[in-house]
Amino acid sequence: MTPPRSFAVFAVVFAVVFAITYVIAVEKNYALFTYHPATSEFGGGVEQPKDGPAMYWYGWLATSAIVALIAGALAAVLPQGLARRIWSGWSWAVPVCVMVAFCYILRQYFLR
Amino acid sequence: MNTTTVLLIVHGLLAVALLGAITHQTVSVWAPARKPAGSFVGRFRSVAGASYANAIIVLYVLTFTLGSIIYPEYRLEARVVVEQMGLWPQTGAFELKEHFAAVGLGALPVYWYFWRQPLAAEHARTRAMLTAMLAFIVWWNFLVGHILNNIRGFGS
Repeated sequence: MTPPRSFAVFAVVFAVVFAITYVIAVEKNYALFTYHPATSEFGGGVEQPKDGPAMYWYGWLATSAIVALIAGALAAVLPQGLARRIWSGWSWAVPVCVMVAFCYILRQYFLR
Repeated sequence: MNTTTVLLIVHGLLAVALLGAITHQTVSVWAPARKPAGSFVGRFRSVAGASYANAIIVLYVLTFTLGSIIYPEYRLEARVVVEQMGLWPQTGAFELKEHFAAVGLGALPVYWYFWRQPLAAEHARTRAMLTAMLAFIVWWNFLVGHILNNIRGFGS
């Protein structure tokens, strides 16, 4: 299967934007929806816990996927000259930085 | 044995397969065998890394999906106990696991693209770094999941 050249740009931008959006979504709690595991209920946006904990992780994933899909699609229609200037290494460098950022954000768990 | 336990076992088995595949590929990229291998280690290094890519993606998605399905059970039953026991590093390690898994998921399309045949020589470094990153995520998640599961013991 040979994907179009624009898929490379889409995939690089998707990986970068997904990672950045995800860490922002976690920090600011931009969850697209909330899941209440105790009652097996879903709610739109960020909802407060009810009858047990609220889970935002699925909502953060959805937020990140949608933003990354839009960014990737937009990047895929960039003129070739511009698209060629996007360094493929961003696709691992940014996610690695985001992983390091999570270690910093969650450091209190390890410093108690 | 309830459904969650069965799913947890399948999740673990898929993770083992994923761990083997990504480790094989990572070693083949970072320490490739230069001559025909005779030893176990040599053969381990001399596999064709590209042939693992699709299997790794499928295994990652399946493992991730099963983990997502049993995650609420962890949130309701296990995490509360782990927190009550004051096991904060273990709780934090699991928090990292969920975030690392998500970051890895977002990198799968680009990982697939750079591992498609024929391999582009100009993207060898990107390919190697993406593989190493995924290998780190898979190893971290496997070990943390294993440790968290062992805290309460099987079937508890």
